[in-house]
Amino acid sequence: MIGIIGSAALVLAFVASLGAFALYFFATQKNNPKLEKIGHVLFGLKGALVFFASALLVYLLITNQFQYFYVYNYTSSDLSLVYLWAAFYSGQEGSFLLWILCGYLVGMGLIKWTGDTYRSPVMFFLTLTQVFLLSMVIGVTIFGVHIGASPFRLTSAEFAHLPVFLSNPDFIPAEGSGLNDLLRSPWIIIHPPVIFLGFAMMAVPFAFALASLWKRKYHEWIYPALPWTLGANLCLLIAIFLGGYWAYETLSFGGYWAWDPVENASLVPWILGMAGIHTMLIQKRSKIAHKASIIFAILAYVTIVYQTFLTRSGVLGDASVHSFVDLGLYNQLLLFIVAVSVSGIILYAVRMKEIPSQKKEMPVFSREFFMFSGAMTLLIVSLVIIIGTSAPLIGKLFVANPTPPQPQFYNDWTLPFGLAIAVLTVMTQYLWWNKYKDTESFAGSLLTPTLSASFISVALIIVAQVSTILYMVYIFIAVFSIIGNGIVMSKLVKKNPKMIGGSVTHIGFAVLLIGFLGAAYDSPMLDRNTINYNAAVERGEVIDDDGFPVHQTLEVMKLDINQPRRVNDEYYVTFTDATISHENRPGEQRYRIEFEHVRSGKKFDVNPVVYPMIANSTAGNMSWTVDPEVQMGLLRDIYVYVSNSSMVERESSRVQTESSFQAVADRLMNGYEQSLTPEVNNLVRLKPGASRNLGQYKIEFDRFINMAEEDLPENAVVGVQASIKITNSQTRQTESVAPMYAILYNDGRNTVQSPVVELENFDFDLMFETIDTTTDEAHFRLIGIEDYIEDEWIIIAIEKKPLVSVVWLGTFLLMFGFSIAIYRRWGDQRVRTKQERHYGDV
Amino acid sequence: MKPRVIIGTVAIVIFTSLLMWNFGNSIGSYVGFEDAELSGNRVHVIGKWVQDKPHGFDNERMVFTFYMQDETGEVRRVSYNRPKPNNFEDAESLVVVGTMRNGVLFSDDMLVKCPSKYNDASNLEISMN
Repeated sequence: MIGIIGSAALVLAFVASLGAFALYFFATQKNNPKLEKIGHVLFGLKGALVFFASALLVYLLITNQFQYFYVYNYTSSDLSLVYLWAAFYSGQEGSFLLWILCGYLVGMGLIKWTGDTYRSPVMFFLTLTQVFLLSMVIGVTIFGVHIGASPFRLTSAEFAHLPVFLSNPDFIPAEGSGLNDLLRSPWIIIHPPVIFLGFAMMAVPFAFALASLWKRKYHEWIYPALPWTLGANLCLLIAIFLGGYWAYETLSFGGYWAWDPVENASLVPWILGMAGIHTMLIQKRSKIAHKASIIFAILAYVTIVYQTFLTRSGVLGDASVHSFVDLGLYNQLLLFIVAVSVSGIILYAVRMKEIPSQKKEMPVFSREFFMFSGAMTLLIVSLVIIIGTSAPLIGKLFVANPTPPQPQFYNDWTLPFGLAIAVLTVMTQYLWWNKYKDTESFAGSLLTPTLSASFISVALIIVAQVSTILYMVYIFIAVFSIIGNGIVMSKLVKKNPKMIGGSVTHIGFAVLLIGFLGAAYDSPMLDRNTINYNAAVERGEVIDDDGFPVHQTLEVMKLDINQPRRVNDEYYVTFTDATISHENRPGEQRYRIEFEHVRSGKKFDVNPVVYPMIANSTAGNMSWTVDPEVQMGLLRDIYVYVSNSSMVERESSRVQTESSFQAVADRLMNGYEQSLTPEVNNLVRLKPGASRNLGQYKIEFDRFINMAEEDLPENAVVGVQASIKITNSQTRQTESVAPMYAILYNDGRNTVQSPVVELENFDFDLMFETIDTTTDEAHFRLIGIEDYIEDEWIIIAIEKKPLVSVVWLGTFLLMFGFSIAIYRRWGDQRVRTKQERHYGDV
Repeated sequence: MKPRVIIGTVAIVIFTSLLMWNFGNSIGSYVGFEDAELSGNRVHVIGKWVQDKPHGFDNERMVFTFYMQDETGEVRRVSYNRPKPNNFEDAESLVVVGTMRNGVLFSDDMLVKCPSKYNDASNLEISMN
């Protein structure tokens, strides 16, 4: 029932948005404010309906109504409330809903804040995007064409072919298939909403650009569009940062960026938005670059839709870690791209002749020229990324089944342009805030940043032992950009702190460039043995069992408990403790790895986590998942994860017999203590001269000592002592004892006397139990040794990742700079709107 | 034509051809095990983990080995020089990057495709039994 209401609400919302779409069209065409008002009402109604449908979906999710496919597919009854809420946008259908909701909020903002000139056409284009997005979730069949995939589909309809539904159509699954454990992280609460808010806001410059073409007012649109574009860019930046941090810190993707298509999907619009912001600034200041502003505003949104198409239509298939499967939306998504691009192209083509363009060429040494070059460089970078991301399509020109390009392709073709941009920012900032008589005085003013950058980068290159020429140039340019923009900033702060947005952002960008360089120096940290082994592999000296040379080097190593290893000649690394903490999930394990700096003796702990992922959908099929821990540092991070351990192996064998989800969870929760004590047989059988290890203890049996008559106990028939030496191989403590074994004859019976020897240096006791005459072995029992044996080990990966903190610092500076700029531009815009209301249309 | 336009056009043409040439070189082709063996180059192989064959991390050699069935149905051993990636057991498919030698794919890069969940009815199949 709820499902029917929900679907109906979505269909009605779709109809309402179509109505608003039509009304805004006529309102614009006929300059009719009444029609526009009704349009607003329909737009509001649409939003209310989508809110209502979303609320119903959330209600279904939190009440575990598994008869609904979306609920079945993304949740299970063990999920806590926050993750049930997050499940709302964990699937495609729900994430479209979230996107629409964000678009609705943006629309309400536009209705409230946009001046009369552009309001109705802007709302027309915004509603256009809403119509298409809504069409993805309505799930109705019109004239035999199925449109969209409804989040309110029933499980029984989805799996109608399964016998369980054939025999009983009313069957309701008792349990859902659950949320992937990797997604059960606080980041899922914040990351997706920020992305979709960014996507929705990027529709605003698009709508304004098209509105300006429609209304033939090519200049004023940038004033309201600028703060929105900055806002969209800030959202995308935060989303990119959150995603990168999430991937790095908890998902163990190994780094913060992998050029994955889904990551590129938010990066490209961000770069184009950035280019748009700059051309809008040129346009604002110098009344030129109208065409460029319009084109970038359109492109930024078209790429959002294009990348949505790539990631959601199933074209990417195997190219991405997290692309979606095709929900049958391929054609609709394609239509969406065609609609936004064609409306942009047609309107632009129709008006092209009218759009103001500058009469004479830009002088080379002008702020406009440098800024424009920067925007064009951004365009080139985004084209490169689009080509790379589109490999599954474009690659067909080269090979049959194209794979995505190697990360090297992206790095090679973006970083040089990044450097060019870093230089351009300094040029532009100098020209923007100062007046120069000639190029000579301009060059003269650049002398200070150039010289100081030279000194600092030479110092950096020496300290960091950089030996590649390219990296030296790279460092110099980045430092130059930081200093150049820094000088501009320090001057502006004195004048008016509101104006430093640009220079802070540019400094942030240059800082980012420095941080990126760190990735070139990522390296595994290994002990001497492993390093030697790897060197032998490189030389081709290692041969495997089949006689073939081994080519794979090792990136992990084994650590035995409490046995320090010297790693990279930099740290002593010791695995000291492992506990089952149950902290976030049943059976979660926390490891304690101690690092001690070889020279300074400074110590720190790292506590990576390993947890069992009990996949509900494959009950009993438990898999171990690693959660790395990062020791953050100003100059380098140490990234640690435990990939296997004695504890993991014990725990897996303990739960192996269980088959159901609940039983596995129960067993993991309970009775783990027993398993922590290794089952040790404390009996050691040795011939004279032999030795054996029990954990870290070595037991050496030297020889039998025949006892002298007077040493024998009373009534003894025969007696012998054993010369035993016990060594703790970790502490190097030893103790030698000579336990006795004697046979007595008392009252016509033979009895054995073998007194327990209390050891002085160790907390356990020793007993000479018997002699096996058939094998000539003496049996010694080490009573209580099982409590002290530490047969614990881990397989650990330690990676040194330089300058990751610098990347975060750069990102924060960018965010800060954007925020200042938004504050300033929004203020300007408010003043303008007030004036406009006061004096009528400008 | 203005010299600026000519220089610009030439620059664009050179840039584009370099870009596309490099792009063409940096992409590979998905192949099956047999082609991988023949080529001997670094390749991408798509396949599924064969669950009933032995798999696991070898604590001596520090490699994760398992058997994979490629899209043509061929089954080969894969030797991955890193620990088992997260989500491996739940993966709908794997993309393994490496070189094939002597019937074994030696890999240092693996892409684990998360389950689409779209047609995940395993829970329902279990609830039937």
